[in-house]
Amino acid sequence: MTTHQVSSYGPSVTTENPTPNTAPEPPVADHDPGSQYEIRVAGHLAPRWSAWFDGLTVAAGHDGTTVIRGPVADQAALHGLIQKLRDMGITLIALTQIPGEPT
Amino acid sequence: MSAGDGSDATPPLLETKLHAPRRRRELVERPRLTARLAEQRLPSLTLVSAPAGFGKTTLLADAFTSTEREGVQTAWLSLDAGDNDPTVFWSYVVAALQKLEPDTGNRALSLLRASQPLESVVASLLNDLGDLPGETVLVLDDYHVIESAELHETMTFLVEHLPPQVHLVLGSRADPPLPLARLRARGDLLEVRAADLRFTADEAAAYFNDAMGLHLKANDVDALEARTEGWIAALQLAALSMQGRDDPSGFIAGFAGDDRFVVDYLAEEVLERQPGELRTFLLETSILDRFTGPLCDAVTGGRGGKATLERLDRANMFLVALDDRRLWYRYHHLFADVLRARLWDGQPERVDELHRRASAWYEAAGDPPEAIAHAMAGHDVERAAELIELAARFMFQTRQEATARRWLMALPDELFPARPVLSIAMVGALMVSGEIAGVETLLQGIERWLDPVANAATPIVFDHREFASLPAQVEVYRAALALIAGDIQATIDHASRALELAEPSDHLRQGSAAALVGLAQWTTGDLESASRRYTESIASLTAAGHISDVLGCSIALADIQITQGRLGEAMRTYQAGLDLAAAHGVVRGTADMHVGLTEVLLERNELGAAMQHLDGSTQLGEQAGLPQHPYRWRVALAGIRQAEGDLAAALDLLSEAEGVYNTDMSPPVRPVVAVKARALLAAGDLAAARRWVTECGLGPDDDLSYRHEYEHISLARVLMAMPNGGPEGRPVDDAIRLLTRLLAAADQGQRAGSAIEILIVLALAHQARGNVEAAEAALEQALARAEPEGYIRLFADEMQTLSPLLRATSTNGVAGDYAQLVLAAASVAPVETGHPIREARPGIDELSERELDVLRLLRSDLSGPEIARELLISLNTMRTHTKNIYMKLGVNNRREAVTRAAALGL
Repeated sequence: MTTHQVSSYGPSVTTENPTPNTAPEPPVADHDPGSQYEIRVAGHLAPRWSAWFDGLTVAAGHDGTTVIRGPVADQAALHGLIQKLRDMGITLIALTQIPGEPT
Repeated sequence: MSAGDGSDATPPLLETKLHAPRRRRELVERPRLTARLAEQRLPSLTLVSAPAGFGKTTLLADAFTSTEREGVQTAWLSLDAGDNDPTVFWSYVVAALQKLEPDTGNRALSLLRASQPLESVVASLLNDLGDLPGETVLVLDDYHVIESAELHETMTFLVEHLPPQVHLVLGSRADPPLPLARLRARGDLLEVRAADLRFTADEAAAYFNDAMGLHLKANDVDALEARTEGWIAALQLAALSMQGRDDPSGFIAGFAGDDRFVVDYLAEEVLERQPGELRTFLLETSILDRFTGPLCDAVTGGRGGKATLERLDRANMFLVALDDRRLWYRYHHLFADVLRARLWDGQPERVDELHRRASAWYEAAGDPPEAIAHAMAGHDVERAAELIELAARFMFQTRQEATARRWLMALPDELFPARPVLSIAMVGALMVSGEIAGVETLLQGIERWLDPVANAATPIVFDHREFASLPAQVEVYRAALALIAGDIQATIDHASRALELAEPSDHLRQGSAAALVGLAQWTTGDLESASRRYTESIASLTAAGHISDVLGCSIALADIQITQGRLGEAMRTYQAGLDLAAAHGVVRGTADMHVGLTEVLLERNELGAAMQHLDGSTQLGEQAGLPQHPYRWRVALAGIRQAEGDLAAALDLLSEAEGVYNTDMSPPVRPVVAVKARALLAAGDLAAARRWVTECGLGPDDDLSYRHEYEHISLARVLMAMPNGGPEGRPVDDAIRLLTRLLAAADQGQRAGSAIEILIVLALAHQARGNVEAAEAALEQALARAEPEGYIRLFADEMQTLSPLLRATSTNGVAGDYAQLVLAAASVAPVETGHPIREARPGIDELSERELDVLRLLRSDLSGPEIARELLISLNTMRTHTKNIYMKLGVNNRREAVTRAAALGL
């Protein structure tokens, strides 16, 4: 490390490199109640997909759609979830925020 | 371009990103789509926007790289998450374009490296794009990975200002935040969307029956196409599911009647039909982004991974080969997603274990970055910390500090207090990026471990060599902190302490500390001591293998030697740097050695050789330059142009140099503005030179210091050019007084190089004053001192006013002979040294595209800041443009510029 490394050599890396195949974290238990979301998608997804979607519940309906539902930590997490759905080619139908419910 | 052998080479660009992916065997051609893209009149922007698995990349590769298009050349860039860093992004864009035309974007790169605003980087690139000879397409695939708002803004700027022969093509999973509506309305956007990319029934039939050999009935094909909605990824999975089945119709009926998510259903079908161990293999290897046989074995605990992969490849099991020898593969990501989802549902605890096995394999294979990534993914932070500690020294040595910083930042804070070597790596990473806020706490934590009395516990250490060097290293960092704070004495104290503490064989610490002491001494004007320290530092850093740092120190040493009047020594310093670099591939700093030689050769009036070295530096490219390089290159070329008599070009270059001025911690003893002031004087622009005097705030009766010596000499020159009599008194007398004091100071500080110049200016001042005897005396001294080292240009640049004096001196002794030599050298008509490769700018009389844009708006009644906003450039950039416009049009203000432009019909 010399003087000529002391100065800023270039812009520092500020982006996080996502590691997409880390095992998902379990959902946080205590939340402010307003951050429950329900996402309706086309097609049936089996309940076993719950682990992939950070532990949210996955329930297929009779109309050929599936509802993914549960607590989402914040907007960034919500967008991450939507991006996962996008990248799998799953068609989004509806997104709703659910008012606080007893867990 | 760079050596990957662990020397001080810059990390190479990943070549694979600059090529379209290899075409997969079984994919059908889609002439209806490629034809649409092959239309002759491509718009500014073509967008292929659809979710994953719709065949975007295949289409782009087919339409633009596989087919031979007459008169169209294509540059390709596959983007990934790491390209969100604007420096990385634009470096890759330039690299892609340079595969077509080698010099495109060189200036943009140097602006990028000098941390100039992005708009100026893109504006410069647009200039170069405008010079491209033929139709050019730039394909950016996977644009959806770009999330940086700053990048989107600059991309918007790029798209809206593309020259007519350049076309941008984006592949993305989502519509990018670019002005699509605007482009669409103008008819300047071509879109290919999911609806276009879906397979039609005919295309599906061709795929199943011809490409996959399935012989399905027409209504079966229709059912499949309806169920999958023509989604290619699903069709591929369906085809796989049906291979070898006796009753494809039955399968299709079951599939069509099911509601399950298509990929899930089909993937399950495929997985179900695999033998158990193969299914396990697929699930377990799905955690890997890329894999090869032995790695798979390590992760699954099995054998025969290579054979398994080959089997999967032959069965078209969604494997993508990553190289020609089919050693490395990855899964199609949709398939991998399904696999991973199943793995985590079935055996979540296994995932961490699998990552740890992958980490161990990569560590043994000598790939620290992957080993670290997998350790993190496996939540084994302690192992990750160990790996990072062991890799840190190498990462710093090879200038990959940004990556090291990213790793360290991902570790939890609690790990650091017990790990002093990891902590010092964090200190290094923070200081390199200029974030000194957390450094003091870390240093104190480390110092607690070094206190022999305090410790009952033992620290956690893996790199014992670095641990032994900690006492010295801590002092080196404290010296650097003191330097940043401007406390020169503290810098010297800490660095001297580091020298005492470091083992004689600890070359890195010895070299770092010596350089810091040298820098502090240089700043205070103790040139002799500084020169000795830098020489020591160079020797130590060479032994430590830190070649780029050797070259950085060489620049400092040569600067000092030139100030001391030792041109020959400076030449040898630069040449030694070049020789050292030659043994290590193209190392950052090599270009600076060439520029240094250019400067010394220029002073000795060897213009041809000077230009050769400048060309040499240009050919090496931006990666070979340290932070000072962009401005020094321009100052050197400006000197050459001035020697050739082309002052306008010299001023142009000096203005550019001003924009990229960066002394990289060296004392700013020769600011570009002062260099430019002298050139302005030589060009006869006294008014501009006087403006510089006012701005720099210096006066003839100031206390003198080494730091401002060059500027004071420049001041004296301006004073001499000012008229005498009138309200300003006699500036020439002020000049003589100032110069006399400057001479005394230079002699006392042993700055022989400065002294020669001062004597010459003094001679001119005396001459202006009418004291011929004093003038001749001063000039004789200058000649006598200049002769041993061969200074020519100091005299030759003043030839107009100096020649009568020189001729008068040529009668006596050493000085007289040298005067003859100088006169002879200066009288030879300067030979055009030609344009260096980089200088693809328009001629001095032509305005560039950007300048024309600004000129157009100068005609309006928008203010300067409003114009800058309108053009999406910074105010500084706009001012540079207007300065250039005025110069090229030969006017002084906006009104004149508009009038003149109108007269010229611009």
